[in-house]
Amino acid sequence: MAAILKKLFWTGAVLLAFALPQVVLPQVALAHGPTRQKTTEKIEINAPPAKVWAIIADFHDMSWLPGIAKTTGEGGNTPDAAKRQLTLDNGATIDESLYKYDPAEMSYAYRIDNVDVKVLPVNNYSASIIVLPADGGKSVVEWRGAFYRGYPNNDPPPELSDEAALKAVSGLFRKGLENLKKKAESAP
Amino acid sequence: MTRKLPSGLAATGFALALALVVLNAAALADEAFIPDQTGDELSILDLEKGRIVARIPIPGKPAGVAMSRDGRTAFVTSTEGKYISVVDTAERRVLRRIATSDTPLGIALDHSGASLYLAGFYQPRLYKIDIASGALEATLDIGALPSGVAVTSDGAVIVTADRGDDQISIIDAAKWTRLATVKVGAHPFGVTIDPAGARVYTANVESNDISVVDLASRKLIGTVKVGKRPYAVALANGLGFSTDQYGGTVSVFDLATLQPIKRISVGEYPEGIEASADGERIYVTNWFSNEVSAIDAHTLQVIARIPVGDGPRAFGKFLRVTP
Repeated sequence: MAAILKKLFWTGAVLLAFALPQVVLPQVALAHGPTRQKTTEKIEINAPPAKVWAIIADFHDMSWLPGIAKTTGEGGNTPDAAKRQLTLDNGATIDESLYKYDPAEMSYAYRIDNVDVKVLPVNNYSASIIVLPADGGKSVVEWRGAFYRGYPNNDPPPELSDEAALKAVSGLFRKGLENLKKKAESAP
Repeated sequence: MTRKLPSGLAATGFALALALVVLNAAALADEAFIPDQTGDELSILDLEKGRIVARIPIPGKPAGVAMSRDGRTAFVTSTEGKYISVVDTAERRVLRRIATSDTPLGIALDHSGASLYLAGFYQPRLYKIDIASGALEATLDIGALPSGVAVTSDGAVIVTADRGDDQISIIDAAKWTRLATVKVGAHPFGVTIDPAGARVYTANVESNDISVVDLASRKLIGTVKVGKRPYAVALANGLGFSTDQYGGTVSVFDLATLQPIKRISVGEYPEGIEASADGERIYVTNWFSNEVSAIDAHTLQVIARIPVGDGPRAFGKFLRVTP
């Protein structure tokens, strides 16, 4: 059971969502659940902050996140101008835009403009990532997400509940940070 | 040469100075009642000491709040539990719960203090609820997805932010009829009426601005650009203050000129905001970073950061002056 749960990281959650019966969503514009969710994942990396930041600093390069086949977009790293589209290994897409970018602080913040809840079961999603200096020349990377569940109305089905949204986002962050650590610690 | 003040004037001056001291002392003893949505509790802050003095468990994901005019009773909406908790502020305990048919968020008290106005989070309705019995007294059709509710200080007019229709509804409280709708910016969430009952301010989440509506003419008279994803507005010292969720700032603007003045960095995802009764302080709840920021309304500096429970939202009026 533990192994199965472990596999319920992002791609797992996506597959699971696809396997479940289709849910009819009420067509209410801009509606979202009443309880905002948040998650913070962090990881210590045995590499200096500048080296870690160099891997994630380009908003249009998400190659460090497993499961991403390609990233396309425009607007460079300029807040309110930069937009990117992530294409997942299974062909699904996520549209995101940048709203804060601070190279001195080594952080940026973005939001999802468009994603199918079957791909990531969230609404009104925003997130920020920051590289912080740690003792001994190491780094700590924090990835924070704020979002509502995938189901915008009362009484959500389990796959679009608050818990499902939290699990999917923390799983995604975890997976990304672990890979970032691997990349930063192995790079010359 | 020394001049002697007329004794009457000196006495008046002394009385005024004393009154100011007393007023300041009273203001410093204000308390805040902060619903912590993910923490399922109510954090009660002594704003003079700058810390939590009590925590009351309130399940069901509490988020909205209203305060009686005498400060003795607070009302907290639990969005998932679908009920309103009636809280004795002095005794720090929940007196009872009022069940709601719709998901409750935005809430305000009527002038008598006997009824509550509740916006239907999903249904396009305003509900009037009798506090003593918990019974639904009346229902009124308003715009889509209403969130914020505010009442003029004389109790005559209710205003709702109908976020799904990008409008406010202006309602005659006594006649229980809608007088008008006024289009504002995109997705208005919080709504604030000034103490004179002259103007309405809405925080428009999708258009990143504040709409200013004149209540007498029922017309939009101005728009102020603020930080990203504004949530709610507070008024003090001739200034407007908006919480900018994505910006992590409070945007300050001049109420006379409607020009932006400053952006003050606060915590992460600031949401509920209210001015102290004396207009000296602005209190801001930071949903992501679990803290309340206190801002000096004159210097526009953050003067205190008070930790609270997890996921504070405090949508509505959460301050009381301690008797």
